[in-house]
Amino acid sequence: MNPDAMKVPAARTVHLDRLGTLLSLVGVASVWLLPFVVFKINRIVSGHPRALFDVLPLWSTSTFYLTLTLVAVIAVAVGNARIRLIAALLGIVAVALVIGGAADALTPPGNRWVRISPGAGFWVLLIALGLIATDAIARLQPRPGIRVLALLVTAAVVAAALASGYFDHLSIMREYAVNASRFAREARQHVLLAVGSLVAAVLFGLPLGVLCHRLPRVRAAILEVLSLIQTIPSIALFGILMVPLGALAAREPWAGQLGISGIGAAPAVIALFLYSLLPVVANTVAGLARVSPATVDAARGMGLTNWQVLVDIEFILALPVILTGIRIVLVQNIGLVTIAALIGGGGFGTFVFQGLGQTAIDLVLLGAIPTVALAFSSAVLLDAVVDVMNKSLR
Amino acid sequence: MIGHMIRLLLNANGIPTVDRMTLGGTPVVRRALLAGEIDLYVEYTGNAGFFFNVASDPVWTDLHKGYERGAQLDYQANKIVWLTPANANNSWGIAVSGEIARKNRLATMSDFGRWVAGGGKVVLACSSEFVNSSTLRSLEQAYGFTMKSDQLIVLAGGDTSATIKAAAEGTNGTNAAMVYGTDGGIVASDLVLMIDDKHDQPAYAPVPIIREAVLKANPRIAAIVKPLMESFTQDSLQELNGRVQINGEPTEAVAEDYLRSKGFIK
Repeated sequence: MNPDAMKVPAARTVHLDRLGTLLSLVGVASVWLLPFVVFKINRIVSGHPRALFDVLPLWSTSTFYLTLTLVAVIAVAVGNARIRLIAALLGIVAVALVIGGAADALTPPGNRWVRISPGAGFWVLLIALGLIATDAIARLQPRPGIRVLALLVTAAVVAAALASGYFDHLSIMREYAVNASRFAREARQHVLLAVGSLVAAVLFGLPLGVLCHRLPRVRAAILEVLSLIQTIPSIALFGILMVPLGALAAREPWAGQLGISGIGAAPAVIALFLYSLLPVVANTVAGLARVSPATVDAARGMGLTNWQVLVDIEFILALPVILTGIRIVLVQNIGLVTIAALIGGGGFGTFVFQGLGQTAIDLVLLGAIPTVALAFSSAVLLDAVVDVMNKSLR
Repeated sequence: MIGHMIRLLLNANGIPTVDRMTLGGTPVVRRALLAGEIDLYVEYTGNAGFFFNVASDPVWTDLHKGYERGAQLDYQANKIVWLTPANANNSWGIAVSGEIARKNRLATMSDFGRWVAGGGKVVLACSSEFVNSSTLRSLEQAYGFTMKSDQLIVLAGGDTSATIKAAAEGTNGTNAAMVYGTDGGIVASDLVLMIDDKHDQPAYAPVPIIREAVLKANPRIAAIVKPLMESFTQDSLQELNGRVQINGEPTEAVAEDYLRSKGFIK
């Protein structure tokens, strides 16, 4: 008898997927307990939850819940990662269609005051479906190129969906409509602050890392100082920088002309730069330490100069670890830039703090969601780069 | 808001302006106008009673008579010309929730007084100033109703955004709010302003006022501003203020949008 045939009955027994079961339970609970859509008479009052059955036609609400049930069943019982991914994406599309439709249905024509916000149920469902999708992607182990492609396609689909006008009645899109011109400006400022401080940290941190590697005596001291900086809360660091920068701008006119002052972008960039140093330096040191002494000896034996050994051999071999450090810094910076808005540095944080001031939660989300998306996208991109590096070195 | 519109409109008509609209409250702006630091600002007609210490004169409760008296006093004393006023009133008033107004057909303070006197269950959110100054008592006497102390929710600070929010959310049964007549929160929170049909309160109509010397140098200003001021109504000012106060739209953008939609600028 063929040994493979023996395995067939075992494969037939349904294998319960643990993560899928947990997420499905969370999804079911959120449908039962949490509001999916919230109706607010205007932007700043608290809202009232609305039941989907009261908002949308019976058939679309029923189709929606049946779709979610199907996704839950697949998440629990189907092992094939591809099917799981498709099911999760189907669920996400259904959630998006329903929230857009509900916003349309709940907004009286021509009314500019009413706000329709996604409720807690919407967010929990979206997170649960997103986790099922990312888990499926992880199981598929796609190559770096495919991951970047998937990211680009997702971004394009989301952009097209938002541009289509289908979601225009949703509270966050209403905030966007009011702030559209500022949004582009703050987005650019956000990226500029995050990337600018990263570039400065790399230019300064790489040589510092090499120094630490070559001179073990200073290594402990430098890393100690950098970790000390890391422990200062960001708002406190902004505050500490305000004093000397403000004094500098007051005393030296050229500093003011360069845009340096106690508040604004300058203290934000410097604070982010200081935070970025530790991951860059520490990973440079770790990466260089990973290069085996035998390799370095061999390179020397071939007659390479010190500089050639450093640039052509050690750096290349250490690159994946250094890039991992850069990835940490970029994602960390994208989050931290949000706080820069408190000292007039601009970026998406402007919307967050303005929204908090006006008790307009939708405005807070207009700042928070793009920040999360930006951090997530840059993590996916740099992860792909690190993977490519690792593979080509092998 | 109206100041921004006038500035944009004058610019569009080739009259250059300088924006000093961050100056501050009425006393500061008025002193700046008298000192010649600014040329034009938007005043409320009823304020003239306080400028000339004749606030108790009943003339201020009538929008048009108040305007004429104020214009006359300000011109005689300060050579300041009052341009066309808006037909809207920003005085203190009471707004009730849309649901109750529709169910009981309430549109004026007379309706409101009759409804409350007839046992209507009203809970009013207001400031302590509204209760302690004679405002509420004067309204009660004029319209023949009385509010018991458990029908009043006195909010510290007395910000109308707080009273409107309380009425909109029905906090502790609140279904009416002390408001200013052109408050942006009224329409945005589905409240209905009770019209002061017996003219009990002084009328506060927005009116642009200008130094005579400046007007003589640019006589076109009066004719340019007139159709704009005449285009305003109680409802349209509530709506415009609401877009700024409630929806968080930038004042200048709302002003420009209004001028465009009404065809004042291209």
